[in-house]
Amino acid sequence: MPLPLQQGALQPAAEPMQVDAQPEENDNTEESQNFNVENPSIDLEQYAGQYIGLARIHRLLFIADHCPTLKIEALRMALAYSMTTFNANLYQVIQRKTHEAVSASSSLPDAVAGAIHNAPTLDTQWIETTAKKAAMKLEKLDTDLKNYKSNSIKESIRRGHDDLGDHYLDCGDLSNALKCYSRARDYCTNPKHVVNMCLNVIKVSVYLQNWSHVQSYVNKAEATPEANEPGKDSGQTVQSKLKCAAGLAELATKKFKSAAKYFLQSSFDHCNFPELISPSNITMYGALCALATFDRQELQKNVIASSSFKQFLELEPQLRDILHRFHESKYASCLKLLEEIKDNLLLDMYLAPHINILYAQIRNRALCQYFSPYLSADMRKMASAFNTTLPALEDELMQLILEGQIKARIDSHNKILYAKDIDERSTTFEKAVAMGKEYQRRSKALILRSAVIKNQIHVKSPPRDGGQGGEMSIAPGTASSARN
Amino acid sequence: MSSTLEHYVNTVQNYSTQGNFAQLCEFITKSADALTKNIHHLDYVMGTLNVQQHSLGILGILCVKFNMPNIHDFEMLFHQTQEFIYMCNGEQVRYATESFADLSHKFTHQLIDRKTPLRGIAILSKAIRKIQLFPSQLTSLHSDLCQLCLLSKNMKPALEFLDVDITDISKEGGQYDAKDFLQYYYYGGMIYTALKKYDRSLYFFEIAITTPSMAVSHIMMEAYKKFILVALILHGKIPLLPKYTSQVVIRYIKPLCQLYHDLSNAYCGNRSNDLRAIVTKHTETINRDKNMGLVKQCINSLFKKNIQRLTKTFLTLSLADMANRVHLSGAKEAEKYVLHMIEDGEIYATINQKDGMVRFHDNPEEYNNATMLRHIDEEMQKCMKLDNKLKEMDREITVNPQYVQKSSGTHDDDLPVSSTKVQGY
Repeated sequence: MPLPLQQGALQPAAEPMQVDAQPEENDNTEESQNFNVENPSIDLEQYAGQYIGLARIHRLLFIADHCPTLKIEALRMALAYSMTTFNANLYQVIQRKTHEAVSASSSLPDAVAGAIHNAPTLDTQWIETTAKKAAMKLEKLDTDLKNYKSNSIKESIRRGHDDLGDHYLDCGDLSNALKCYSRARDYCTNPKHVVNMCLNVIKVSVYLQNWSHVQSYVNKAEATPEANEPGKDSGQTVQSKLKCAAGLAELATKKFKSAAKYFLQSSFDHCNFPELISPSNITMYGALCALATFDRQELQKNVIASSSFKQFLELEPQLRDILHRFHESKYASCLKLLEEIKDNLLLDMYLAPHINILYAQIRNRALCQYFSPYLSADMRKMASAFNTTLPALEDELMQLILEGQIKARIDSHNKILYAKDIDERSTTFEKAVAMGKEYQRRSKALILRSAVIKNQIHVKSPPRDGGQGGEMSIAPGTASSARN
Repeated sequence: MSSTLEHYVNTVQNYSTQGNFAQLCEFITKSADALTKNIHHLDYVMGTLNVQQHSLGILGILCVKFNMPNIHDFEMLFHQTQEFIYMCNGEQVRYATESFADLSHKFTHQLIDRKTPLRGIAILSKAIRKIQLFPSQLTSLHSDLCQLCLLSKNMKPALEFLDVDITDISKEGGQYDAKDFLQYYYYGGMIYTALKKYDRSLYFFEIAITTPSMAVSHIMMEAYKKFILVALILHGKIPLLPKYTSQVVIRYIKPLCQLYHDLSNAYCGNRSNDLRAIVTKHTETINRDKNMGLVKQCINSLFKKNIQRLTKTFLTLSLADMANRVHLSGAKEAEKYVLHMIEDGEIYATINQKDGMVRFHDNPEEYNNATMLRHIDEEMQKCMKLDNKLKEMDREITVNPQYVQKSSGTHDDDLPVSSTKVQGY
């Protein structure tokens, strides 16, 4: 970010500094995931209501980018919401998008289409006043902060930084917001403030998708004593927030198992984090990650029998059903249900990039579990249990066997899968012999190497090609040749 | 006969009877010029000396003869050298290892120039035995022998030496340098590759690649190329190079062998079509590197590897299905591959020609028979021997005066940090 000048120097207008960071950020995720969802079943109004601030706008924009049917509605809502903030830049971006979307959806000429669909025109006046207001507020906050600083009252300075950060966030200037929030760190006087500072930084880092930052600040917050008081309500709320943020970071970095663990640790009663995540999101992320990575026992103990996560699951009855079906080994209906909710899941900006991986892992896990109690299984029955054809199943199984997830062999002639009884004794012998060979090889190489080093043999830069014959000059060290 | 030659003969005889070989060496080196001037009388001088008693004297003369720009009677020189190497006194020539090595190198070059490498193999084998202090000592003659074997396409004689694991290197008066070392391991690797002992050849190439290095050596680069190909044939992937591999390999040699990395990527991804495409595209380069044969073996081994993978997943499989899965042209070709692999013991399977099915079996080895147990016992003995060797080396280091001085010296500077550092090395 080319924005080093800040703080103190009175920047009159906020506009030129508002390098639109977040549309770019969005671009990154879009490029990797170019897909369209046709038949979502989302109540947009209710969905958007779960979030506040940038989270709402980001999510709406994500839906707009990937779902043609909901595009215009989502953009309109985003537009309306953006007008409640100071973020004039984002407003313009959304306005442009809305305009394009509206005109594209209609075959009529622009002007007529605009009239029919009532496309909102660019409200230049609003932009101007907003910019002015934002600049004024910035100026005021800045002078305040200066005053606090000259009086050197720590608490006031901290608040001043926080307020400034809030304002930057409201304007959409994420990098400056992050800077202000981080600066508050030096003025934290009690653990509560530290936690607060961490939460602020985490929030902005999530918007910026800087996941390593998120993780490190979660750790920092967890290390402060305030966050670890389970008795207090505030402590639990903080805990839940931290778990959610950590879970998000793990999810984004494809560490699904630890992501699942984090999400499962957040408590339903204290889950209030609309800037980032809604309770139903936690359910989705937690349940899917758990399905993909937990074994049967873990699933039973940590998810299905967990009293706290039960409350989450009530929010998403479909997911609850999927979990139960999976646990009851009704894989066909489980997979079918999963397929049904896939469209909705794809519209979630944090989950979408991982959906296919997660689904594949869930399916593999199901295949493994299906076969685990059998010594031999009819592949025809298995194929019907998984809604698939025989050759496809054979390929899938082959992959799993090669990866070592299923210990079995396929009888392609009779279409039967046989569990493979591994002769532990033989494999141990095999391993031991291989290890012995490797040891010999390594030791021999090392002995030779020590001889090489002792004789100072190494390839030098000017190549001494053909030097071995002609020159008969006697180098120092000749004496050693007459050892015996 | 001129007086210089008379002097030479006398001195050689005197020193030899006194057993003062170190001084004799010095004298011979000095009188090389004088001998060169009297080149035509040297045969007569040789006649007056006894091969057994005056080996060093004869060695000096032979060296001078080989140093002449053009040798007119090579047959005679060949026989003289042969006689010398067979008959000379090993104890004496070991005082002049550098001259002896020099003689052997020249001799080898002459044979190669005359395109008769086969004639030198036995002589050089003998020469190595003469000059070695013990069988696991590496000399610069080793690489000459390997070269002769490769050129004459007669690999067996070199095995006698290659199969011995080297524990020491002859210094040869400071003449032994990295080139001889690299050549020996490069040629050795090639010999093992030719004999299809891939395990050992991979080891040899690895040694060549991991030689301490400050600059790019072409031998190392060629060894690296062959290393990749042999590794693919043997393991189906490129093994990690040990940590002590010098930076040069990673930084300069790897980028220069992009073609081979491409090959290995295609191989590891089981994309036989890609593999073929790369080979066709770069036929010229591969031919220039003289690696076409190995590359072809690589392509074949990919099919074999895929078939081996199938044995892990299937109990029975139709030939047609197999051909389809490993991208072979049809059931016929698949059958041929399976048949050869069963014969070579690479897979355990039976073909049922009636319904075109292959039935895969497990490895029948159950590790409960006497031969296997003996084999394991032998392996254990080898490991123990190596372990003892390592202990011995460790002891040698701990009693080395220099080491003791250094490690105890740091104790005096009351700097515990630096002393632990030294121990760490």
